[in-house]
Amino acid sequence: MEKIYAAAVRRKDRRRVYIELKFERVSKNYKDKKVLKDISVTMSTGVYGLLGPNGAGKTTMIKIMADVLRPDTGRILYDGQDICSIGDKYRAKVGYLPQEISFYSNFTGRDYLEYSAALKGMEKSYAKKRIEELAYHVGLQNDLKRQCRTYSGGMQRRLGIAQALLDNPEILILDEPTAGLDPLERVKFRNIISAYSNDRLVLLSTHIVSDVEHIASKIMMMEYGVIQHMHIREEYIKMAKNCVWLVKMSAEKLVKYQNNAVISNVIAKDGVMEVRVIDEGKPFADAVQTAPTLEDVYLYIFNYLPEKTRR
Amino acid sequence: MSLFVFELRKLLVNKKTVILLLVLFALYSVIGFSTSLFLIGSNDAYKGYETLSTDYEGAIDAEKAEKSKTVYDEITARYGTDSRMIARSIKDSPETILAVKYKEFSDRVDDYRNGTPPESNEEVYGINALHSKISVLEKQGQRNTFEYKKLCYSLQKLIALDEPEFVNILLWENLFTNWGEHMMQFLLLIPLAFLIAPVFAIERSSGMDNLILSSRHGRRKIVTAKLLSVLVASTVIVMVYLIATFVFGFLPHASLHGWDAAIQSIPEYARSMFGFKVWQFAVVSALWLIFTGAVYSIIISLISSRMKNQMSAVGISLAILFINVGLAAMGDSVIQRIQPIIDFGLANVTLIKEVFGGYKVFNVCGSIVSYPIMAVFVLGIFAVLAVFWIYQGQKHRTVV
Repeated sequence: MEKIYAAAVRRKDRRRVYIELKFERVSKNYKDKKVLKDISVTMSTGVYGLLGPNGAGKTTMIKIMADVLRPDTGRILYDGQDICSIGDKYRAKVGYLPQEISFYSNFTGRDYLEYSAALKGMEKSYAKKRIEELAYHVGLQNDLKRQCRTYSGGMQRRLGIAQALLDNPEILILDEPTAGLDPLERVKFRNIISAYSNDRLVLLSTHIVSDVEHIASKIMMMEYGVIQHMHIREEYIKMAKNCVWLVKMSAEKLVKYQNNAVISNVIAKDGVMEVRVIDEGKPFADAVQTAPTLEDVYLYIFNYLPEKTRR
Repeated sequence: MSLFVFELRKLLVNKKTVILLLVLFALYSVIGFSTSLFLIGSNDAYKGYETLSTDYEGAIDAEKAEKSKTVYDEITARYGTDSRMIARSIKDSPETILAVKYKEFSDRVDDYRNGTPPESNEEVYGINALHSKISVLEKQGQRNTFEYKKLCYSLQKLIALDEPEFVNILLWENLFTNWGEHMMQFLLLIPLAFLIAPVFAIERSSGMDNLILSSRHGRRKIVTAKLLSVLVASTVIVMVYLIATFVFGFLPHASLHGWDAAIQSIPEYARSMFGFKVWQFAVVSALWLIFTGAVYSIIISLISSRMKNQMSAVGISLAILFINVGLAAMGDSVIQRIQPIIDFGLANVTLIKEVFGGYKVFNVCGSIVSYPIMAVFVLGIFAVLAVFWIYQGQKHRTVV
């Protein structure tokens, strides 16, 4: 961790502290399906979480931001310049971890990172140093000589994270970075991103709410190709302030009840189910109100609020 | 390591490709060795022929020609006139090899002197035939036509080349058969298509496009690196073919006899208008194969850059290679209309026999341009356009 901090601090002298990335009415269609609808959002330094159900348009938004996909209409401005027109200059600032990581069959972990460094135009000596540093931080220092195809899913993910961080990018785009990681690795990953994000823009798309809950400065909730909300965590908590309840019920009652309610958690205690319910009104007389988590808010927005209000 | 080194590793310097190259080298060696055996029989037969032919080398001798014709007539009476049948029946007898070769040589001399008969539909060839055709055009007042210029050019070239001479050139004949005919396309260009086809397509099928296209050098420098690696890979595979067929065609007989003769001594190149010595022509042929292999590889790269998987790229590359073979099989009236496609299709221009074996010329703004120069120009345009489209394609490529 110290090394990551140190590298960030060393490079800070050379960095601008403020970065701005602005989506201006960005739309994207796949044939007749509108995947992104007039997205307008401005991001600056800090960690941004992007949450949303499958098919919300998160990956499309991220691909456009990583410049591997072009919008049909609208544009993205990086410090006021269209990223399509500045091309290489913009991509030199970007680190991107795609949702699905691929490897060449004959490449080792080191080959993969060296190839990525060559693609990013890094100097050899600097690249070598960074590879050693990042391999250590993602726990792959003893596996770099192995062929990538022999890596487990979690190791491939960690290698992908190292690749994205390789050139200390100003803009770090991570699509489902923690898929396949065990809890310890996920915590470690969050810490790396937190330490790293000091003077950078990090966009982290995920299904796992807890991944962004504590490290994201702002969280975007996306559905049907639209960013429905963009707030800080506390504002989201306020949104569902009086909507989370704890209810005790039998297992039989739960089976009947769960099809007509939004339930965020169930804990079995001495044969009784303690159910966490999302509801704007008190669902049962004995229900006890409790403080919402971000996961509750996610369910409140995407499962509770009427669909027509979100479209 | 630079991007070029990585691309070279992906395409060429990896275990699978090295094994493929070793297998190809072994195959080419067997081809080089076995074709020379087919042409000249055993090493003893060749040595015997080499000794006997020494007395026959040089300008045509009417007495020897008559003697050879008698032997040849006996052979054809027994085995028929099919050239393969004759070749098989004589390959272990130095005397009959010599008789048949000398008879063929005397026919070439006759062709040089008298050429195509007036009633022939072929292009006019031969000193006398050219003279008479030129006289006809002069009488008709067609001195300013391209046809007249072409005939004068041919006559001038033919006189400068002088009459063919007899030389023991069997091993070189075998070499140029291996290098310049359809077998080369099957043995060399088809494996080349398989080798080069993944160059861009693999990024799509493997999903590495995400990483490449989002990187600083993923739109331009990567293309340069890939194209350079394609050129290196194609040169290496062509060199493997050239070296294996050369070494194993000559090595068993330990002779390079005939290396200094004119290429007109080789039956297939008897009508060539180029004044190359055999060794010079070997160098030119090698360079031609490297050049056409490189152009074909760039075209395969273009196809690969537009395909989602490498097998589609291989299929289309092979279709493009052989499309003019199919076209050439059409009727004469169709061929006349699509002659440029046939002339500059890859199946033709990759064959040195087609390009250097005749005296085809083109009318470019009234000037006479030879087939090789025209082919270099056309292939150069193909290559430049392909490279341009590859860069453009990568610039606008997206990952859905």
